[in-house]
Amino acid sequence: MEGTSPVESSKNEYSNLSLRPLDVSDIDDFMVWATDEKVTRFCTWEPYTNKEDGLNFIKNTVLPHPWFRAICLDNRPIGAISVTSNSGNDRCRGELGYVLASNYWGKGIVTRAVKMVADTIFEEWPHLERLEALVDVENVGSQKVLEKAGFSREGVLRKYCVLKGKSRDMVMFSLLSIDPRPQI
Amino acid sequence: MDKIDLSRITLRPFKLEDADDFLLFAGDDQVTRYLRWKTLTSKEEALEHIKDVCINHPWRRSICIDDRSIGFVSIFPFSGDDRCRANFGFGVAVKYWGHGIATKAVKMAVPRFFVDFPDVARLEAFVDVDNKASKKVVEKAGFQKEGMLRKYAYHKGKLTDFVVYSFLSSDLPIVEP
Repeated sequence: MEGTSPVESSKNEYSNLSLRPLDVSDIDDFMVWATDEKVTRFCTWEPYTNKEDGLNFIKNTVLPHPWFRAICLDNRPIGAISVTSNSGNDRCRGELGYVLASNYWGKGIVTRAVKMVADTIFEEWPHLERLEALVDVENVGSQKVLEKAGFSREGVLRKYCVLKGKSRDMVMFSLLSIDPRPQI
Repeated sequence: MDKIDLSRITLRPFKLEDADDFLLFAGDDQVTRYLRWKTLTSKEEALEHIKDVCINHPWRRSICIDDRSIGFVSIFPFSGDDRCRANFGFGVAVKYWGHGIATKAVKMAVPRFFVDFPDVARLEAFVDVDNKASKKVVEKAGFQKEGMLRKYAYHKGKLTDFVVYSFLSSDLPIVEP
């Protein structure tokens, strides 16, 4: 974990919340949310059923990822948040994704984590102009997170993707580097 | 130009013999202004483009009048998890603007594409916010406007806002007024 300093929450209410890289040593904490079908409901992936698959995910996807962080409470991972990068004409754009263990839902933790990412990613990636997120039309909780974090709702993309065999409409949200950001 | 009878408009795959006609529109900055293509400058480039891009393309058709190429419709399905979607583009020679040819060609292309690619559920067109003419074409052809994507991508070096339109296979048939 050298070379990447953790992002810490400054406000008292979330002072024990931080973002840091996820590592293979975090596998047991990872499995808590990755095996939960409540958590994976709107994810393209099915709940994990064994530790080896979890370790492979961390080794093959998380470690080489352009920007992947564990959402931590007292330095223990309870979820994850990531930003993808693009190249060429699409380099101005990154896609935000996040997941949180279900017993921590409803406390504003992901909203806080999203605000923390918004406050750091545009500085870390000066070429980034637009952070976007695509949310299933039925995933109201996640839509509220983005609205509270200052994202603009741009429209509904009909049958944009297939989730677990069904076509889904997705709401497109974006936050530009020049947009005002709500206070953390 | 006199009013054009739109029944003369047909779609077909490109052939090398279209090179001179292809250059007439692909060599014109007004046509390529909102396309990702670099404006072509010679018959050799036109032949190369037809050979390397048009003929190998998953779904590109020449818009023809009396079987002479005056434009194109291009539909590119994505791969992997995104294969339910395809990107839609088109262009017509300036000489033939203003006659409803692009709208007619788009209306012809859409149902044919869905027959050829039954796994694609969604056609999407990303139209530069300044490209009024193309917005009118897709709207008249039955695409639905979904929203404006701010600073979505670079176009020829400029950070650009795009309006996203879609046409779903479930939106068929296209109902004529």
